[in-house]
Amino acid sequence: MTKNKKNINEESYWNIVKKQFNKNKLAVWSLKFVYIIIFLGLFADFLANDKPLYCKYQGKNYFPVLKSYSVNIGISKWPKELSNAYWKEMSYDKVIWPPIPYAAAEMDFNNSQYTGPFDEQDIISNRWRHWLGTDELGRDVLSGLIHGTRIAMLVGIISMVIASFIGILLGSLAGFFGDNKLKISLIRIILNIICLFLGMFYAFTSRSFVLGESIKISYGDFFLQFLISILIFIFIMIIGNLIVSPLKKINFLKTKYSIPVDIIICRLIEIFISIPKLLLILAIIAIVKPSILLVMVVIGATGWTGIARFIRGELLKVKNLEYIEAAKSLGYNNMRILLRHAIPNSLTPVLISIAFGIAGAILIESSLSFLGIGVPANTITWGKLLSFARQAPEAWWLAIFPGFAIFITITIFNLIGEGLTDAIDPRQKGK
Amino acid sequence: MLKYIFKRILIFIPTLLIISMFLFSLSNLAPGDPVELRLSGGLAAGSGQLADQLAGDRAYVDLQKKMGLHLPTFYFKIVTKAYPDTLHKIPKKNERKNLKQLISQYGNWNEIYSYYKSIKTLEYSLFNVNNESYKSDIRTIKENCVALYRIYDDKKINTIINEINDIINRNKWISQDSIQNIKTIIQNSLILKSNYDIVKNNQTTFLNKIPKILWFGKKNQYHRWLLGEAPWFKKGEVGQSKGFVRLDFGYSYLDGRPVKSIILDAVRWTVIINIITIILAYLISIPIGVITAVKKGTTFDKVTTTILFMLYSLPSFWVATILIIFITTDEYGMNFFPTYGLGNLESFWDLSYHLILPVFCLVYGSFAFISRQMRGSILDVIQQDYIRTAKAKGLKEKVIIWKHAFRNSLIPIITMFANLLPWMISGSVIVEIIFSIPGMGQASYTSVIARNYPVLFTIVMFSAILTIVGILLADIIYALVDPRIKFDKK
Repeated sequence: MTKNKKNINEESYWNIVKKQFNKNKLAVWSLKFVYIIIFLGLFADFLANDKPLYCKYQGKNYFPVLKSYSVNIGISKWPKELSNAYWKEMSYDKVIWPPIPYAAAEMDFNNSQYTGPFDEQDIISNRWRHWLGTDELGRDVLSGLIHGTRIAMLVGIISMVIASFIGILLGSLAGFFGDNKLKISLIRIILNIICLFLGMFYAFTSRSFVLGESIKISYGDFFLQFLISILIFIFIMIIGNLIVSPLKKINFLKTKYSIPVDIIICRLIEIFISIPKLLLILAIIAIVKPSILLVMVVIGATGWTGIARFIRGELLKVKNLEYIEAAKSLGYNNMRILLRHAIPNSLTPVLISIAFGIAGAILIESSLSFLGIGVPANTITWGKLLSFARQAPEAWWLAIFPGFAIFITITIFNLIGEGLTDAIDPRQKGK
Repeated sequence: MLKYIFKRILIFIPTLLIISMFLFSLSNLAPGDPVELRLSGGLAAGSGQLADQLAGDRAYVDLQKKMGLHLPTFYFKIVTKAYPDTLHKIPKKNERKNLKQLISQYGNWNEIYSYYKSIKTLEYSLFNVNNESYKSDIRTIKENCVALYRIYDDKKINTIINEINDIINRNKWISQDSIQNIKTIIQNSLILKSNYDIVKNNQTTFLNKIPKILWFGKKNQYHRWLLGEAPWFKKGEVGQSKGFVRLDFGYSYLDGRPVKSIILDAVRWTVIINIITIILAYLISIPIGVITAVKKGTTFDKVTTTILFMLYSLPSFWVATILIIFITTDEYGMNFFPTYGLGNLESFWDLSYHLILPVFCLVYGSFAFISRQMRGSILDVIQQDYIRTAKAKGLKEKVIIWKHAFRNSLIPIITMFANLLPWMISGSVIVEIIFSIPGMGQASYTSVIARNYPVLFTIVMFSAILTIVGILLADIIYALVDPRIKFDKK
């Protein structure tokens, strides 16, 4: 019964937010644009590829683009006659090419050395035209833009998932417990410190060799080993906390101390905002092998402060509301109140932070790839395409189109953020 | 108030300490050996004499000492029981790293150390053979020895040791073993093999499961960098570091230049550019913010806010690239501005001419940002009761806006100044790189690329300090301007 009621309330709140959001025409249009971006990112391989979507070759039917997915995962192999195929030079019985028949990193040697969109191109027909020109190595710019969309999308999503997780966790702890509400017994503090030490030791110091070896094989292996390390760590921490209750019987170990969660977390936020973010990310990324995934992780791990501040402020308000009091008087423990009642009711404003955060993450990623940091050589991103323009002033298409893609994407996410601000929290506007 | 300021300053110290430790650990995780980087110029290939090799090693150790890298990294270290107390005394970074890997594989430091020593002995004994007929063999063995310093994989080590023995076991080596030096080499190679077998046969891997804390005391890199090693109130010896707190920022890893002079050279341009930018941005944006707020809801407001919004989302590196391509080259017939650099530093006009584009790229973003803030701030103030009162009194619109609303809405704009700092440093990194302006942004970028940590440290630490001080100043100004705000608890 109570659950139903809650749902109704939530829906009506969402309806209000939706209604307000729909009033802002620009934001609504931007949201539609986001769908296009997601579509481009998801289906980049089908929109621009050097393999045909479908072909009939030597009497057999193939779907090379689809097939390449299963080959990449490792569940199937190319048939012999296609294993080293030059797709463009084969004679098919029937063939359907993707709308842009070029892969992002594919070099068209006939049209290299910056062939412009309006220049004469050495192509069979307009079907094979480079609509937005090529770069020095003959890579198709339009194809690069489409594949770059996927990277921009992933950067936005992955970094914001990480940032939201850290931000919501820390922000809610700080806001909910403040400086003197989290009381922990002496023995739990001591055991947690010991277990933190032991956990770090057995999970990381003792396994440093295994971890170091796995990163040489692949990032996948590393993440697996890293996960094992984390599990060991969690296991030790849990054991430590389990022995707390029997030891609590000793009187002086039972004394409770309050932990100044708010001060600690606010200092942490201060630390992160006082280092110029681009420099911080540069310093981290410069010491490891270029990897776009790592760029995303680092952007996320450094970009949580806004969300944390937002949710902290929200929880400061929420925790004094009646329903939290009610939950307390029902005898629920703090964790349950926090996770089931306080956090879900203060999440909506975080959407604002996330929308602006995605814009920021895409901006940082494109700045980094513009500077040539953190992106592997064979990955084409918007920033990288734009950076090619610096070497060749005559190739105006390299300066205009990728930059425009970055600009549009950032603008629409900012517009959505603005729209959400109007809808959720109009007082925050301009702050 | 004073109490509050004091408390805040006290809180800065741990914040800054944590930032510095974080940066410090980053520099330790970085691959590459800074000592070798510095040496690589002077120490190419020796003539193959033992004296050269030893001199090279000595030069390495001396330079390492000068750079302070011979010390352990931090006050303490959490390691496994198998780890020796003195590993940091192995001079070369990659050899040290390799030994660490061996320890975590086999856990028996004493055996590993004698194995390491036997590689050294074998390598040094090779120098004593000058016989022409062995030259190529000796070179191969030497290369194999050098490779052994960097290998911890069992299979690879065995292959290399076998290869060394294969060379030695060839007929002509054995027949010539009457020559003393050759004899030593043969012996040494046998010792190497047996030492490695001992390492593998006496494994004590369980030691790797026992934690141990190593305590190094004040003699460590971090302490040296932060507080220095020279005595505080006496004159120290030449070459002793004074530490960051006494404004000794160390020396560049690349060319040994003092970081202080590098930073002083660079900071000028960043400060000049940013001051011009801030002044221009405030001058333009405050009136725009006020006008759009007053005319809220009109077409003018809508158009201006949209344009400002677009400007705000416009990445400066794109604008800079476009400007460079279209109006600084002959390609499109519009070569109006210089492409990069600062031009003739003596001439004020030439310098300003060169600064127009970079400043423009920095200004438009911050001006869009500040205008939007200003508009929001005025809108906030206009809703207040005292404005309504002023209106009710029949005051003129102009007086209300400029005398009552404007002043009060300036508060958040002034305080925003503090938060603008880190934002501007980040922003000027890219603009400085694109326009080749030798400022802080470019210095930090080049030092990141070259892993020149002393320079990077100093820049990041200073921007952190500036930001924190800025935030504090903003809070204080806030309290001074707005009497409703009190920080002291009642």
